[in-house]
Amino acid sequence: MPTESKILEENLLYIDALSLALRDEMREDPTVMLMGQDIAGHGGAFKITRDFLEEFGDRRVRNTPIAESGTVGIATGAAILGQRPVIEMQFADFITCGFNQLVNVAAKMYWRTECSVPLVIRMPGGGGMGAGAFHSQNIESWFLHSPGLKVVAPAFSDDAYRLLRSAIKDPNPVIYFEHKFLYRRERSDLQEMQIPDRIEGEANVRREGHHLTSISWGWMTHRALEAAEVMEKEGIEIEVIDLPVLSPLDLSGIFKSIEKTEHAAIIHEATRTAGFGAELAARISDEAIWNLDGPIRRMTYPDSPSPFHKGLEAARIPSVDVICDGWREVLA
Amino acid sequence: MLRELHAYMRLTREWDLRYEKMFKTGALSKWYSSVGNEATTVACGSAIEKGDALVSLHRDVGAILRHYVNIEELFPDIFPEKMSLVRQPLGGDSRDRLFRLACQMLGREHGFSRGHERSYHYNHMEPDHGLIHLGMISHLGSMIPVAAGAALSFQQQGLDRVSINFIGEGATSTGDFHEGLNIAAVWKLPFILVIENNHWAFSTPTSQQYACDNLASRALGYGIPGVEVDGNDPLAVLEVMQTAVKRARAGEGPTLVEAHLGRHRGHSEGDDSLNQVPSDELKGYLDNDPMDLIEARLLSSGVVSRAWLQEIKERSANLIMEVVDEAMAMPEPTPNTDRNTYAD
Repeated sequence: MPTESKILEENLLYIDALSLALRDEMREDPTVMLMGQDIAGHGGAFKITRDFLEEFGDRRVRNTPIAESGTVGIATGAAILGQRPVIEMQFADFITCGFNQLVNVAAKMYWRTECSVPLVIRMPGGGGMGAGAFHSQNIESWFLHSPGLKVVAPAFSDDAYRLLRSAIKDPNPVIYFEHKFLYRRERSDLQEMQIPDRIEGEANVRREGHHLTSISWGWMTHRALEAAEVMEKEGIEIEVIDLPVLSPLDLSGIFKSIEKTEHAAIIHEATRTAGFGAELAARISDEAIWNLDGPIRRMTYPDSPSPFHKGLEAARIPSVDVICDGWREVLA
Repeated sequence: MLRELHAYMRLTREWDLRYEKMFKTGALSKWYSSVGNEATTVACGSAIEKGDALVSLHRDVGAILRHYVNIEELFPDIFPEKMSLVRQPLGGDSRDRLFRLACQMLGREHGFSRGHERSYHYNHMEPDHGLIHLGMISHLGSMIPVAAGAALSFQQQGLDRVSINFIGEGATSTGDFHEGLNIAAVWKLPFILVIENNHWAFSTPTSQQYACDNLASRALGYGIPGVEVDGNDPLAVLEVMQTAVKRARAGEGPTLVEAHLGRHRGHSEGDDSLNQVPSDELKGYLDNDPMDLIEARLLSSGVVSRAWLQEIKERSANLIMEVVDEAMAMPEPTPNTDRNTYAD
């Protein structure tokens, strides 16, 4: 018998879901500590940790110097010895300065030494706001190509809350992409839920359909849902699968859907070449090609940095029109 | 005190000589020798205790052996009863640690990384004995922030433990040297960074590495103490380290130590990088071998006899031969492709 689950927060904003998840984990586990640039008194560039300093004190809420490599390295060392650090990258783009610590020290630590590194790096990423080449990137592929990291990219407030809490509980380094465009636009109800203590692969059907399986994550899942409405008017039912977790990857959910729809397309805001869409297309091709009745199509950002002007940027991000056209070609 | 330091230096020297020999006979594919570093590394290992974190590089087996092994337990009959000790041993099985360390060097199943990682690139933790040892990755300087992070964990837990990390002078040119040391200074972390300055980074002399007079003075830029010390003098290094450790335990923050020592070997065995070192400079290093210096000191102070020095040398060499032979006889790792990348 289905039970009515209690709604904890109605219409919770994505950005507030992040604050709430951090606060709840910090209250529950005294080893959780936050590090980042301007996160203490100022509350962070996006105010996600506003008032945390007052509640948790300056030992657990630490401003760092502008030193991404030093910060990731220090967090890794502390994590090995029992702390659960959560780093806020001011912008996801800045992780490049801490790349070696992340992919060589943190990511490989468990395999090399059997010492776990319970570390979360929050990565405000993505475009849509005319923020230019260094505040807009979608860089998930870099980390998906680095064994040892888990990668999360929620599209909805409830997933954002649950997955941030799970990421903090997980004993592995987790790269947590939070989409800046969704911060103050996405709202969903937060229901009472169990918080798993591991990040597991998830392929969630956000809209059912039987003509084509659309795969996306982050902001692009919202675009896919919008585009699916358009297609519905043409009598085409798109199944929209959202991947809030990119690594580990739940392929079975994708294959199950493709078995039904016999068509697949992938949408991502990241640049095209060697983007995660290429990997997904390859996996589908490897294991589910006999279920397909059409090409696998990718609708992506072109192989280009992000321009400053909003119009120039919008021309590059897969639009509802571009998505619908892509789907139509697959179905033609 | 000198006798205790010497015993560990001798064990360390014989450890390296054994592997150097194995490299020469082709039994080992690669070896980075720590000959010449023993005074500094053993003294540093003598300044820490149970619960402290040791973060080592590839020429720091002196610190590792000092931390892992109770030499009185290994050679019970050749030390005076109630020898006054610089530090207490950790407890636990010294010989087994030595054996597993040999397995690690040889890529055997019983090594700390079970054959998956090379030589000193491993971690070894024994929570029951307060043994916390983090090894290196190949990228030099990268462990500085990580070691500072170990210090952060102590600070978070309100423990008076310290973290020590070694680097060569070459790694002071990395960004992580600056970032790690700066954050450690700002947060007053209980962290000590020891530069083993042997004046040659692979084949690059200090004149092509940095333009300042010395590296210890860089500490000024971080607002922390920086101390230069003769790295061939274990007592001098010990004193500097004890001051730094005391300061760190008291919550006063990090110290940067620059130990000057000599380049005795190539970057790795079998390369010809030692050819870059001018012969008179090399002679200066070899003439100041820390092993010779401490033995001369022990003899002149009348603490030990030449025969005793010979005896501990033979006992050390034999013990190491024994554990290395045992390790060689251990199984090679079973081929696999599925070692866990993620913690469960």
